[in-house]
Amino acid sequence: MERKTLTRRDLFRVGGGIAASGMLPLPSFAEGISAKPLAPGRLGRIDYSKAKAVPTICFGCTTHCGVVGWVENGRVRRIDGNPLDPNSKGNICSKAQGMISYTYYPERLLYPLRRVGKRGEGKWKRVPWDEALGEIAEKMRPLREAGTPEEFVFHYGRDKTKGYTKRFTNAFGTPNRLNRRSICSSNRRAPLMSFYGREFEWESQDFENTQYIVNFGGNPMEAYQGGLYMMHRIQHARVDKGARMVTFEVRPSATASVSDEYYPIMPGTDGAVAFAMIHVILKEGLENAEFWNRWANYPLDDLRGDVAEYTPEWAEEKSGVPADDIRRIAIEFAKAAPACCTMSNRGSAKHYNGVQSDRAIRTLDVLVGNVGKPGGFCLSSLRGWAGRYGQEGLPKLSQPGPKASDPMPWGLGEGFNEDAFRKLPEEVQERVNAFPEFWRKKYFGELATPSEYPLAWHWYQMRVGQLVYPYIKESRQKVSVYMSFTLGASYGYPEANLAREVLADEELIPFHVAVDISYSEQAALADIILPEATSLERWDHHSTNNYGLVPYTGVRQPLVKPLGQSRSIQDILRDLARRIGGGMEEYFAFDDMEGFYREWYQNLPISWEDFKQRGIWMDETREKDYELYERPLTEAELADTSVDSETGIITQKESGKAVGIVKDGKSIRGFDTPSRTIGVYDEIWPIAAKAVGLPLDDVNASPVAVYDTVPEHRDLPEDRYIFTTFKWNVHTQGRSAHWKYHSEIVHTNPVFMHPDTGAKLGLKEGDTIKLTVFRPKGHTYRSGEEGAMGAFENHVRFLKGVHPRVMACSHHVGHFEQGSVAKAENRKSAPEQGIDSESKAFKDADIPDKLWWSREKNGIGGGVHINDALPINPCPLTGGQNWYDNVCSIEKV
Amino acid sequence: MPELLPWEKVGSEFKKVRKRAGMLIDLRRCVGCHACTVSCKTENEVPLGGFRMRVRYLERPGPEQSTIAFAPLICMQCQDAPCLTACPSKAIVRGEDGRVKVDESKCDREEECITACPYGAIFINEEKQVAEKCDLCEHRTDVGLDPACVSSCPSEALQFGDFDDPEDPVTKIAADAGALGWKENEGTKPSVLYIGHEPWMEEKANSGVQLSEADMDVTYEQNNLEVGKR
Ligand code: SF4
Ligand code: SF4
Repeated sequence: MERKTLTRRDLFRVGGGIAASGMLPLPSFAEGISAKPLAPGRLGRIDYSKAKAVPTICFGCTTHCGVVGWVENGRVRRIDGNPLDPNSKGNICSKAQGMISYTYYPERLLYPLRRVGKRGEGKWKRVPWDEALGEIAEKMRPLREAGTPEEFVFHYGRDKTKGYTKRFTNAFGTPNRLNRRSICSSNRRAPLMSFYGREFEWESQDFENTQYIVNFGGNPMEAYQGGLYMMHRIQHARVDKGARMVTFEVRPSATASVSDEYYPIMPGTDGAVAFAMIHVILKEGLENAEFWNRWANYPLDDLRGDVAEYTPEWAEEKSGVPADDIRRIAIEFAKAAPACCTMSNRGSAKHYNGVQSDRAIRTLDVLVGNVGKPGGFCLSSLRGWAGRYGQEGLPKLSQPGPKASDPMPWGLGEGFNEDAFRKLPEEVQERVNAFPEFWRKKYFGELATPSEYPLAWHWYQMRVGQLVYPYIKESRQKVSVYMSFTLGASYGYPEANLAREVLADEELIPFHVAVDISYSEQAALADIILPEATSLERWDHHSTNNYGLVPYTGVRQPLVKPLGQSRSIQDILRDLARRIGGGMEEYFAFDDMEGFYREWYQNLPISWEDFKQRGIWMDETREKDYELYERPLTEAELADTSVDSETGIITQKESGKAVGIVKDGKSIRGFDTPSRTIGVYDEIWPIAAKAVGLPLDDVNASPVAVYDTVPEHRDLPEDRYIFTTFKWNVHTQGRSAHWKYHSEIVHTNPVFMHPDTGAKLGLKEGDTIKLTVFRPKGHTYRSGEEGAMGAFENHVRFLKGVHPRVMACSHHVGHFEQGSVAKAENRKSAPEQGIDSESKAFKDADIPDKLWWSREKNGIGGGVHINDALPINPCPLTGGQNWYDNVCSIEKV
Repeated sequence: MPELLPWEKVGSEFKKVRKRAGMLIDLRRCVGCHACTVSCKTENEVPLGGFRMRVRYLERPGPEQSTIAFAPLICMQCQDAPCLTACPSKAIVRGEDGRVKVDESKCDREEECITACPYGAIFINEEKQVAEKCDLCEHRTDVGLDPACVSSCPSEALQFGDFDDPEDPVTKIAADAGALGWKENEGTKPSVLYIGHEPWMEEKANSGVQLSEADMDVTYEQNNLEVGKR
C-alpha cells in the first residue's frame, strides 16, 4: 500500500512555495499585529530569513541523529532534523532541543575549578587553564616515567570521539580507559557476537519492510540506542503497510502502548516465551530447514530435543503469557517469514538468565530463516570503515596518525607487562595464568579486563563498569590519577553510594579530575574540574549502523564557539599530552582541530566544504546490506588462504583467521564466527565458566540456549516483588535532569504498580512507601548476603498495565547536584566560581524562579534518588548488570 | 545552478497562500515522545508552567486494555472561535489564512478568552502580561518551514496544511481517514483534525492543553498536588 503521509524529506518543502499554487512575495510576517516587549532572558522569535542553518550530529542521547541547528546572532536557537540523514530521515525527538538547554544552562560550568577545602565540601576557586593543566600534568608525568602508566585511570560515561580518547590513553600507556558497557548493553551484545561474530555492528532489523515484529522488552519508542531510527520505520510499517508488533514488557512503556498486542510478562521469563515459540514452530513444521541446515552450526533435531519440554503451557506457567497467545504469535511470526523479526534489549537481557534468553530469541530468527533478508533480522557491517566485512568499495575513514600502539597485555613472558601483572592479587595471577592461550593477549588487568568476567572482553573490550569502585576499594588496582569524563557514576551506577565513598577517599583516589559541562554529582567529588565544550561547540566523527542498511557517515561540527573558557575534550587532551611530554606530544602535534577532522574524512568522494554543508555522506547507489554472508570473497581476500576439506572453512594462512566458507563449491563470506556459520552452539560459554570456576550447571555455562529461572525469583514469597527501573522518552540517563523543558514534563519517579497489588498492600495512589531491596542469589558480587541491601521512600501511582509482581520506578531524577533545575530548587547551587549565570548569554527567564514543581512552590519536588538501593549485580561471565532482577519488599510509611 | 540543500530553500522563495491553515493529528502514529511540546517551548520560549501544546498520557479505560493512549492537544484554530468572540479588547484576531492569533499590543489580560476556550489552549504569559497561545508558528510557515511541533514529530503524527485546498495532501489524507475535530459537539469548527481519537479521551483530557489538578496524567505530576491527598 502506498504511503499515506508526507515524508520527512518534504519537511522543508511544505509551504515553501516551490511547488505551491498561489504565490505571494515575502515578507509577510504576521500582518497587522504587534508584540509586547520581551522579558530579560527571552530572545524573541527567530528570524529564519537571517538565521544560518548548520548541519551537525545530535548528542541528546546515544542515537546520534543528523540534525540542523539554526544559529541567530551567534546563538543556537533551534534544532531541526537533517533530511539527508538516511537513518533518522530528518526525524528528531524531544531530546535534540536539550542540547540548547544544556549549552545555555545558567549553571553551566565555564571555568576550570580547583578545590579548596576538603574533597566533596563544595568549596572551589577559579584557576587559569595553564595552572589546572599544569597541575594535572605534574601528577601524571611521574607515573609514565616510573613505568606505571596504568595508575592513570580514564573513566567515561559517554565518549563519542570515536577513538580520540584512546589516542590519549594509548599515548600515555594505560589500558585503563573504562566505560559502562556492562551497565548498558553487554548482555545483549555477547549473545549477538556469539551468534554472528564481531564484524557486525549490532542487529539492524529491516523494519521498514517487515510485516511482523516480536519485541522482548525493547523500548525503541523511548530509550533504545538507535530507537529513533527504529521508531519511525516501525510506525510507518504498522500504520501504512499493515505490519503487526507484539510486545512483552513488565510495564506499559510507550512501545508497549503503541504495539498491536502487549503482554505484561513476569520479569526474567522472556526466554521461556521464546523457547515455547521455537517449540510451536517446530511442531507446526513452520521452520525453514533449508536455511537452518545451511547456516546454523547445530543439528535441527538436537534443537527439537532441547525444546521438547518447553511447551506453551510450561511457558505460561513461568511467564504469565497465555499459552494460546504464544502459540498464535509463534505461528503468525513464522508465517510472515522472511519479513518478520525479533527484537530485544535490556528487558530480556538484563537478568541473570538474560544472555540465554537473548540466545533463545536470536534462535527464532535463524529458525524461520529471516536473517539478512528483506523485512527480516538484518546485520549491517561494522561502523568505522577500515575495509572490513561488507565494506568493500567504501572510502577508508580513519583517525589521522601518528597513533600510539595499544599497551602491552599483562602476564608473564616476552611481550607482556610483567611488572603490572605481578602486582595483582595472587589468586588473580593464578586464574589468568591458567587461561586458555587465546585469552592471554587480551588481558590488561582487573579494571579493564576483570578476570572473573572473561566474556566481557573475549570479543572486544566491553568493561564491567560497576565493579570499578569495589575493585579499587579492594586494592586490585592502585590508582594515582583518576579522570572522569562526562561520567555519572556517583549518581547513576548501582550502589552509587559506594562510588561516592571511593571517590571521597583520598587514599584510594589521591587525585580526581572531572571533565563535565555541569556541576554533576561526579564533578562535586573532584579535585579539579575542567569545563567541557558542548556538542554544539565541537567536532566528532560519526558513524553507526543504518537501519536503512546502507553504510553512511556524518560529522559533528561546532555551530558556535565554546562559551566561557570551556574547551572540547579533544583540545583538553591534546594540551595535556603536550604538557606531560616525554614523547606524548608527538601524537598531538596538530593545532588546527578542523584540519584534523578534514584529514579523517579525506577519502570521501566529496569535498570537505560540501561535506560540512550536508553534514552526512552516503553512497546513494550502494546496494543494501542484505545477506552479506552469501557474498563471494574477493580475489584479494582469497589470496594466501587454505580450505579445510571437512568443514569448508577458509582460513588465512598467515594469521590463522577464518575468513569465509565454501558452500556449493563457492567461496563466500559466511558469518564472522570461528565456524563461519551461525554460532547457535558455542563452546565459549562452558570454556569461560570453567576458567572462572562457575559450576557447569549454571544457566550461563551452557553452550546452547537453555532456560532457568532467575535464582532469587524461585519460590518468590507472596510479599516480595521484582523491582524494575526504566527510562522516560524525555530523559537520557542521568544527564538530562537539568534540561528545563524536559524536567517540566518528567521530574518525579513514583513507584508504579498494578492497582490490585496496591489494594493488596492496603495502599491508595499517592501514599508513601518504603521499598527495600535484597541482594541477588546467583553466582555474583556479594550474592546471598542476608538482610536489606538498600531502601528508599517514594510515593506510589497505579497503572493497570504494570505486571502485578512488579514495582516500576524510573531513574533520571532525584539529583543532589547538577544545579537548580535538576534539584528542582528555586535557587542556584552550582559553585559560583565556575558559572556565569548573570551574564547575558546565560540569563534565563525561567531558571530558577519558575520551576513550578519545586518544594518551595508547594510542588511535588524533583524525585527520589534510587541508585544507592540497587545492588551491584554483574551477570556471570559477561559482567552485564542484572538491573531488573532485584527482589524487594514494600511497607506503607 | 547547484541543487539547493533543503534548508537553503528556506525563506528564499515565496509564501504559499492558504485559506484554512490547519493541522492533522494522527493518533495511530503518535508515540507520546513529547518532541512536539519541547520543540514548541524551545522555539517560542514558552515560560515554564504554560503550554501552547501538550501531549496527554491517558490510561486506557476498561480492565482489558492496560496501555497508555497519547493525545497531543493544541489550539484547534477554530473557524468559529469562542476566544475571539469573547475578547472585549478585540485582541484575538484571525489572519488571512484563517489562523487565530493574539495581538499582544491590544491584550489587557482580561482572561475572557481563557474561560471561553473549550480546549484550555490559552494561558497568561506573566512576563508580558498577555494571553498566549499557538499560532501555528507563523514565523516559520511564512518562510516555508513547518510549525516547530510538526517539524519535530518523529512519527509523522502531526502534519500542517490547508484544509481549504483540495489538492493539499493533508486535506486528502484527512478526508480518506474521516478525520474529525476534538470535541466536535462544541461547534467551534476546528481546523485541527484528528485521526483515531475516541470519546473517552476527550472526557479524560477534559482540561485540555494546560496543566490542571483535575487530571492525573502519567507524566507531568501535577503542581500543588499534595502527595497523598488524592
Ligand atoms: S533520538 Fe537521540 S540523537 Fe536522535 S534526536 Fe533524539 S536525542 Fe538526538
Ligand atoms: S512529536 Fe509526534 S509522536 Fe511525539 S508526542 Fe508529539 S505528536 Fe506524538
